[in-house]
Amino acid sequence: MRPTLHIPDGFLAPEVSIALWVVTAAVIAVALRRISTDLNKAPARTVLMGIAGAFIFAAQMFNFPVAAGTSGHLLGGVLAGVLLGPWAGSIVMATVIGIQALLFQDGGLLVLGANIFNMGVIGTLGGSLIARATSEVLGGGRKGQFVGVGFAAWLSVMAAAGLTTLQLGLSGTTDIGIGLPAMLGTHALIGVGEALITIGAIGFISASAPDILSARDSTKGASTSRRIALGSVIAVITVGLASLFASASPDGLERVAEDLGFLDQAEGPAFELFSDYTIPGLDGTASTIAAGVAGVAIVVIILLLLGRIAARRRSA
Amino acid sequence: MIATGRQDARAAIIATLLVALGVALLPTGSYLAYLLVWLAVATVAALSGIAPTQLARRALVALPFVVAALPLLFTRSDEIIWSGAIGGASLSVSGSGLRIILTTALKAWISVQVALILVTRYPIESIVSSLRALNLPDTIATSAGLTIRYLDLLRSEATRMLRARSSRSASPLGESRERAGGSIPWRARVTGNLAGALFLRAYARAARVEEAATARGARGSLSFGGLQQTDPRILPKTILALVAFAAIGVAGALLPRF
Repeated sequence: MRPTLHIPDGFLAPEVSIALWVVTAAVIAVALRRISTDLNKAPARTVLMGIAGAFIFAAQMFNFPVAAGTSGHLLGGVLAGVLLGPWAGSIVMATVIGIQALLFQDGGLLVLGANIFNMGVIGTLGGSLIARATSEVLGGGRKGQFVGVGFAAWLSVMAAAGLTTLQLGLSGTTDIGIGLPAMLGTHALIGVGEALITIGAIGFISASAPDILSARDSTKGASTSRRIALGSVIAVITVGLASLFASASPDGLERVAEDLGFLDQAEGPAFELFSDYTIPGLDGTASTIAAGVAGVAIVVIILLLLGRIAARRRSA
Repeated sequence: MIATGRQDARAAIIATLLVALGVALLPTGSYLAYLLVWLAVATVAALSGIAPTQLARRALVALPFVVAALPLLFTRSDEIIWSGAIGGASLSVSGSGLRIILTTALKAWISVQVALILVTRYPIESIVSSLRALNLPDTIATSAGLTIRYLDLLRSEATRMLRARSSRSASPLGESRERAGGSIPWRARVTGNLAGALFLRAYARAARVEEAATARGARGSLSFGGLQQTDPRILPKTILALVAFAAIGVAGALLPRF
């Protein structure tokens, strides 16, 4: 059985379902407006979008054995976004998720807005924008594109898993303290499979039909200022997700430890840089924010270094 | 082929969503309400010519998701119904956690049956056409219509590609150590290549379909035609059924909870 992120009806509180329907409908409306200019120029896009939807369905059948009965699968959110563009890709994923709910009862109807939000809006629209931004930060090119696509594919699975758990937690149908680390932990591996398959697909297409991708993706790197801005955005998103994971995970484990009664046996780590996500000498909120800023700064520096290395490689 | 309009599923779609909303609104622990609502749903299924037992079995598809709710059994600290020690660790099971899990499972199970009645009774093409009539944007309706039309084709294409892959990477019988294929990243890349190849075929097909459609004067959207309503009194019937459903749900919710 494959792990699924399609929430069935009954798991979300009605107010959570309706709020996410409203947000999803708004984003899809924007996406429709963004592609409408394309449509007037070339009506072929609707045909391509429709057949691409069937392609995503079929591509989700592809799997590869990992170990002991488990297998890697493709969800296809970032793949759809990179191949068709973020806006058209998110509309295609929205229709795919809708048809999955109707035809295969894979996910509920009342919670369809939430499922489209998690996988289509955040996964496809957000994911392919991150793929493009990461590729620009790394100076474009084939390698930059692959790293960007892989990173975005992994992130899209993690984000969908995290959002699903948060929505369940808000609805009172799971415990975020345990659910979040459990979901993010398993999906960290599933996301690696997603990233590898997506890179494989993009690699195959860019090798055999480069014109399909080159029309959409800029192959040249961005200017330094743009690169810093994009890098910071990616870093903030990454650090936000990581801190979500970090803040949930020890709490969850502490909670389990407390329930199981072995908290007393727990000892602090021998060495702590930012103990409990605070910086020594500062207290409370200021300290947490400072730790967050420091974390973002570290990631920005790493990304800039990576970008410089990539640029040097390219010019050499 | 007989040229007919699609069946009008508008009333059924709206009723399905309202009933699903009603089920989601049922209070936690009102097991009698869930029983009454399920009996109502089973009756509607039987009236639509669907065997309620078959429906109940097919609706089990949503239940594995209940795993997500399981932590509540141990993390909620109210109404402890059992506490003890397992291997030196103390553990407590919460009654309210158990109630939420059971209620959520019942909600999911009943909601899937409600949705199943809609999709068993109406073909998916009729549902898309009716959604179009309910103001679903043309681009989405056309895209969904084409996805449904090419679904079987591309799925069987994918099946053929998977069969070809397994015929080329078979491991000899009995030689379990002789693993077929390379490392896990290698297998993932090959799988990705399959997906890439399938996309190129889909892309080429889209170009052909588009050319053919343009040659015949298509303007980039499917024609959904008129909707055919066989029952002239569908509106009063639907309203009556929804009122009856609401009465059953409210009555059930007023019955004692456990």
